[in-house]
Amino acid sequence: MRIRILGNLVILGATVVLSYGMQVSKPHYADLTAPIPADGAMHDTIRARSFDVRLDKVVFARALKANQFGRQKLLTTSGLWAVVTTSLTATAASTTVADGTWQGPTGLRYHQTERLGYRQDMPPHGVDPGLEKRGLFVFEIPPDQIRGASLLIAARQFGPLDAQARISLDGVPTSADGRPPDVLPEYDLDAPPPQGKS
Amino acid sequence: MSAVSTAPGPIASEDRQAEQKWRRRSLVALAILLPLTLAETSYDSLREWLHGEDLIARDVDFGQSVPFGGSDWKLADLRGGKAGRLPDHAFAVIATFSVKIGDPDLQKQWLGCKLMLTDAAGRRWLPDVIAGVSLPAGVTNCTSAIFSGVKKGDTVTIGDIFIVPEDAVKTIRPAVGLGSERPWYLRFQRPPK
Repeated sequence: MRIRILGNLVILGATVVLSYGMQVSKPHYADLTAPIPADGAMHDTIRARSFDVRLDKVVFARALKANQFGRQKLLTTSGLWAVVTTSLTATAASTTVADGTWQGPTGLRYHQTERLGYRQDMPPHGVDPGLEKRGLFVFEIPPDQIRGASLLIAARQFGPLDAQARISLDGVPTSADGRPPDVLPEYDLDAPPPQGKS
Repeated sequence: MSAVSTAPGPIASEDRQAEQKWRRRSLVALAILLPLTLAETSYDSLREWLHGEDLIARDVDFGQSVPFGGSDWKLADLRGGKAGRLPDHAFAVIATFSVKIGDPDLQKQWLGCKLMLTDAAGRRWLPDVIAGVSLPAGVTNCTSAIFSGVKKGDTVTIGDIFIVPEDAVKTIRPAVGLGSERPWYLRFQRPPK
């Protein structure tokens, strides 16, 4: 009888140890169901399940000029504004592309700005199959988060197991200290498209 | 336990046999109950998913009227062209349906109502807004129709505006999905040229 009780205790102990080991060593549920990245470079078309995205241009500026409710607003920042222009197309059905994240070289993530409020050219972008559409994503980032950064574009912010385009920003020119060589003093969101290089 | 250790004999072995029998029964029950539990817990999600997706098409010939969501649906017109401010290589398309109301409780029957265009490759377009293009007079989109207070026997014209790329315009077919009918949806044959 002694042996039986002892044996049961050993089994119980082993179960506890095994369960604890699994709990600490296995990835978190949120990581297991995290978005699935689709990698690519600037100017490539990346297929992300429900939409295709191509990164066309990144422009840096110290201030952002925007029209809000009929009033001209100048948004300043202690870092830099990054205005990213993309071309978006839906693959199979009309859908929306709503989520943009700037991921710095060390993994710091900067979600798209919400300071602009609702604008037609800001996410969520409504996209249709076969019709390419220009879509802007605007980020507020520290200048040391540019070299080696990547851009993450997904249909929505929490999309478990959905695709996420991960675009490497190696094509963005930076000078020796990692800062971009041309920074516009001011970017006007309501001016017609061609502003700044790269 | 104590019976086993204090009174060895025929009673103890009988107890043991009974215990083994119940253990076996429990194991068998586990094999049946576990899959049943899984099925039960996923049933609601599966049903909800099926009721939210337009998965199975019911094809309708042009000129034919088909009961769907308590009313009779017929494709009235499908026209496309260049109008308003459009992207390059794109066409504006207006699809209209003539609907004879059977069950006037549209808030229940037409919930999540969706007009779509599909092409030969299976791509789908949802309604869009085009600056400078509006629906013809007397045509409403289906969401506004839900709250228009129609009566049984009324005939309403439901329509919407779409933007479709040039390469799809030749094969597009209009389709209708309603919350009360999903996963089935209606796909209409194009009017003859």
